[in-house]
Amino acid sequence: MKFIADLHIHSKYSRATAKNLDLENLYLWAQYKGIHIVGTGDFVHPKWFEEIKEKLEPAESGLFKLKDKFAKPIDAQIPKSCKGQVRFMLTVEISNIYKRHDKVRKVHNLIFSPSLKAAQKIQTKLGSIGNISSDGRPILGLDSYDLLAITLEADAKNLFVPAHIWTPWFSALGSMGGFDSMQDAFGGLTKHIFAVETGLSSDPPMNWRLKQLDDFILVSNSDAHSPAKLGREANVFDTVFSYDGIYKALSDKNDKGLVKTLEFFPEEGKYHYDGHRNCHVRWHPKETIKHNGLCSVCGKPVTVGVMSRVEALADRDEGAKSKRWRPYQNIVALPSLIAEAKEVGPASKAVQEAYMNILGKLGNEFYILLDSPIKDIKEAAGDVLAEGINRMRQGKVEIAAGYDGEFGTIKIFESGEREHIEQQLVLF
Amino acid sequence: MEKPIDLNESQWQAVCHQGSHLLITAGPGTGKTHTLTRRIAQLIPSLKSNEKVLAITFTNKAAIQMQDRLAALGVRQPQVFVGTFHAFCLKLLREYFEHTALPKNFKVAVPEEITGFDKEMLKRISLLKSSQLAITPDDEHKSYQRYLRQNGWIDFDDILREALLLLEDENITGQLRHRYRHILVDEYQDCNIVQNVLLKKLALEGVLLTAIGDANQSIYGFRGSRVELFRRFQEDFCPSKILTLQENYRSSPSLLAASSQVMGGVQLLAKLSTQGKLVVHQAATDRAEADYVAQQIEKLIGGLDMNTSRRAVRSLGDIAILYRLNAQRHVLSQALEHLGIPYQVSQKAQKAQVYSDEDALGQNEEELEYNVEKISLMSLHAAKGLEFPVVFIIGCEHRLLPLDLMVLKPDTHSCSGMKGGPEEERRLFYVGMTRAKEHLYLTYAHRRQLFGQTLIQEPSPYLADIADELKAYEAAKRHITPKKDPDALQMKLF
Repeated sequence: MKFIADLHIHSKYSRATAKNLDLENLYLWAQYKGIHIVGTGDFVHPKWFEEIKEKLEPAESGLFKLKDKFAKPIDAQIPKSCKGQVRFMLTVEISNIYKRHDKVRKVHNLIFSPSLKAAQKIQTKLGSIGNISSDGRPILGLDSYDLLAITLEADAKNLFVPAHIWTPWFSALGSMGGFDSMQDAFGGLTKHIFAVETGLSSDPPMNWRLKQLDDFILVSNSDAHSPAKLGREANVFDTVFSYDGIYKALSDKNDKGLVKTLEFFPEEGKYHYDGHRNCHVRWHPKETIKHNGLCSVCGKPVTVGVMSRVEALADRDEGAKSKRWRPYQNIVALPSLIAEAKEVGPASKAVQEAYMNILGKLGNEFYILLDSPIKDIKEAAGDVLAEGINRMRQGKVEIAAGYDGEFGTIKIFESGEREHIEQQLVLF
Repeated sequence: MEKPIDLNESQWQAVCHQGSHLLITAGPGTGKTHTLTRRIAQLIPSLKSNEKVLAITFTNKAAIQMQDRLAALGVRQPQVFVGTFHAFCLKLLREYFEHTALPKNFKVAVPEEITGFDKEMLKRISLLKSSQLAITPDDEHKSYQRYLRQNGWIDFDDILREALLLLEDENITGQLRHRYRHILVDEYQDCNIVQNVLLKKLALEGVLLTAIGDANQSIYGFRGSRVELFRRFQEDFCPSKILTLQENYRSSPSLLAASSQVMGGVQLLAKLSTQGKLVVHQAATDRAEADYVAQQIEKLIGGLDMNTSRRAVRSLGDIAILYRLNAQRHVLSQALEHLGIPYQVSQKAQKAQVYSDEDALGQNEEELEYNVEKISLMSLHAAKGLEFPVVFIIGCEHRLLPLDLMVLKPDTHSCSGMKGGPEEERRLFYVGMTRAKEHLYLTYAHRRQLFGQTLIQEPSPYLADIADELKAYEAAKRHITPKKDPDALQMKLF
């Protein structure tokens, strides 16, 4: 069966997340977005784990569903066009902060668990090591290697996925807090890692340039800190609808269960280019080299982004493919497309209204972005948005690249173009 | 013999000294343990078979560290006994138990198991036993001793006193003097009178004593330690030589200068050229002080999420927070937990506790499965002997540093007011300051909740002893305005 999964999200118990990031809203927004399996996130957090146990019940093997009594009130809010089956999978992200070879390392890692029992074991172990109650994504002074060992020990079917591996500050290969290779970070246990998460600022072709990543399959997730950010990136599977189906798709090198990934345009990510946000210095890696890595405003080293970092570690030319490569498709979130079409802010009320309106007419967001015939979108939401989505599908998007924590900005239409597209309608 | 490169001139002199007792005055960061272990290794080849070196450390932990260091130098267990006074004395009592009045298979009393006696009374008896040689026990004391004997127990302090009785037997003392030809004692400034007499009995007939320590770091007067024994060394052990280690390899020059000023001009030479930073911060309340500390830590470790990320300078294990009273810890824990910063509270003052023979040999140390880094929280007393790149000393206020429990906690028993006297408080502050390698934060609050009272506090008088040019002040932000931090990123949800 074909399904879409977003396996890296957070709960309201994580730092800087939305207050309404609870299981009900995940259930709601997964349907708006067209996601079939969503991670629970944060399962190590005792209160969140309690909520998981209270509100979810076992469904397909290794998957969970929201109990009817909690789902019913939500179901009333969901337009018919968007109704779909939502399952949860037990996931958590850990922030590992530790010193290795005299350098401070900060690495975020994801753990997926097949059962409450396996999750409970990890929770108990990590609880004995550090504080797991303050933050849904707990900060532990534990080496990533040790976390991997704990994960494997708790249950052989647990999956360990290094998160957004290129993010400068918090990742396995990040320029500021990471290592130069997965082997350096995870040593002899590296072979127990089957998948790595590319993060928003890198796309698969960038990752294919590193031989050291050949054995890993690339996954993409939203890392959502609010329900509306679900599905910014996601994975399309075509396999058995169960934890085991996903496990096999990631771990078995001959399995074709992971069909493709849905990706941000990497330029849109917060750390694609280099620079200093406060100095308004945004540099292409070549520019950074020209300046010896030092900011032209403050003189301090710039934050080295993902593109530079990939270039530094790459051992293949652009265009090469890795052994376990999968197709991918770049997407732009529908609210951003609506905002671009309407020339308003993406968080504005006009966008929210238009968003719900089009969802009601056509179906969930992924259907609209990926599959809906353009003429249907024209009818439902006008020519400009239809043309925007058309251009997105063809990759005709202009983006001022993100840098040093600042998201990239998307531009689909030239000034005056919108009016031109609308006038065409009048003529024909 | 040529001086090895990992020893400086005065360390080398201390390692090689022969022919008399030796007192090594070693300030903080001068390579005390390094020198001591090297001296032991140097002494070993001169021993005949059946002769040993006796090395006395202050804690079991220090004993284990010394054993490890000696093992690395090729010195094996039979040639040297490393342990605390208590571990050594317990070993003697077991070996010569027939010559004692103790029951066979006596056990060391675990404090938690002692019931039916007032805690303050037990403290008083303990202090008496460790600070006086001749005691005339009162009725309470007598009934306590009877209670111990009925259970076949011996308490912590009696381990030393029973050993001292044993050494009255010249036969035994003679045997021991033949066995332990060299005795080395670490942290000599914290010796009590019983330990002093033990040493005087053993260090005779050619047995040579090496004591090392720093009178400026004597902080256990309230437990019976006597810093004057350090100053009296040459009278107690004759003939003897005094050597001084002056080169400091721990702290950056400015921090060393600051701590020296607090101690009234200690002569130490900074050997490192690292950039030091001493920050004095005044907070409105103890809560604000704790928040400040937690926020500084978040900055030092480079932020905890994408929104506060910056270059990480420190790891969790690099940072310690020290305080005078455990009662100061609660607010601090809350602030750290609020930010999700991992921390650990160090066990109460690292006494040389031995409750069993396994403890005595340091075999009961907890083995950690994984090395987990955390911020260390501990009392100033517990920080002795440790070092950290970054140290916070919180509550740098009068009545806390120096401590005046009579004011802070009027219901306190009279004997524990300012326990070791004002000079010991100053030394305690000095010990705290000298734990820092590069960053030292001294913080104080204007208003503090302590033992159910709200106190209006003044800065500690010690702060005024530090020259202004060594201090960077960071003012408290009374009104928190959303001021932009140039290095951190603003939080943005959408």
